[in-house]
Amino acid sequence: MSSGRRSSRTRRAGSSSLSSSTSRSISEDQISELLSKLQALLPESQARNGGAHRGSAARVLQDTCSYIRSLHQEVDNLSETLAELLASADVTSDQAAVIRSLLM
Amino acid sequence: MAGGKRTTARHQHNHPPPPPPNPSPNRGRGVADPPPASDDSPSSKRMLAFHFLRALARIHSTTPAPRRPRTIRRAAYSSMARAASPRRAWTQALLLRRARSRGVAVVGSSRRAVLLRRRVSASAPPPMLRASAGATSAAAPPVQGPPPRQAGEPARADALRRIVPGGAGMEYCSLLDETADYVLHLRAQVQLMQSLVDLFSPPNPTSN
Repeated sequence: MSSGRRSSRTRRAGSSSLSSSTSRSISEDQISELLSKLQALLPESQARNGGAHRGSAARVLQDTCSYIRSLHQEVDNLSETLAELLASADVTSDQAAVIRSLLM
Repeated sequence: MAGGKRTTARHQHNHPPPPPPNPSPNRGRGVADPPPASDDSPSSKRMLAFHFLRALARIHSTTPAPRRPRTIRRAAYSSMARAASPRRAWTQALLLRRARSRGVAVVGSSRRAVLLRRRVSASAPPPMLRASAGATSAAAPPVQGPPPRQAGEPARADALRRIVPGGAGMEYCSLLDETADYVLHLRAQVQLMQSLVDLFSPPNPTSN
C-alpha cells in the first residue's frame, strides 16, 4: 500500500485553466458534492456520520474502495454460481416468465 | 420478444456498429424508450438485463463448462458497460479491455481506439488510451504515474484509481464522478445476478 507522497508530473497540464482562487472554490464545492454523492451510495454510510472534513473524505474513499472490492468479489462468486446453475437447470415456464418480466 | 426468437448474436459481435451520438444505447428490439440518464432507472436496469441475459444464452449454448465462470464474469462487466452511457470513461475502459482480450482485428480495434480517443478528448484524456494507441500491449496496459495530487486529495484516491476502470491518470473530481457512476451500475449488476441465482436455484418455494 503506497502511503508516501509522489508528486510525479504528467506531460499534459490539467484542464483547469482558470485562476487559482476560482478553480479552488469551484473544485472544493464539486468535491464536497461528489463526496456526499459517493457516501450516499455506500451501505455503511448511515452508521458512520460525523468526523472532520478531511478525515471524512479519506474515510469515504476508503469505504468506497472496500465496497467496490466487495462488489467485484460478489460478481466473481455469482459468476461461478450462475455457471453451475446453467449446467444443471432447465428453464421452466415460470422461470421464463420471470426472465421476460426482467426484460419488459 | 426475447422468449420467441433465439438468434445467435455472433454476427452482431463480429461487426459491432459504432454507438449513436446521443447517449441512449437503444439497440435492443424490445427497448423502445431511451434511458434518461446513466443512473439507477428502470430502463437502465432493463438494458442491463437485456445485455446480460443475451450473453448468458450465448454462453449456455456455446461455451464449454470449464470456461463458463470466467466468461460469465467478463460478460457481466461488458453488459454493465454496454447498458451505461458510452461517454463514461469506465465504460470505454471496460469495452476496450473486452475488445483487446477477444483479439479483435487490428482495423476494428484501431477504429474503436480512434473513436474512444475522439470522444475522450472532449473531456480530460486518460493516458491509458493514448498509450494503447501507440503500442498494442497485453490485457493490462502500462499505467502511467498519477497526476499531481490536488490540494486536499487523500492518499486513498490512488487506490481508487487502481480499482475503477479507466481511473488511472484521472483527475480527482472526474475520479469521484466516475466512481459514483461505476458503483451504481456495479451494484445493479450484482443485484441482477443475485436475482438470477435465486431464480435458478433448485429449492424454489414459489414453484411449489
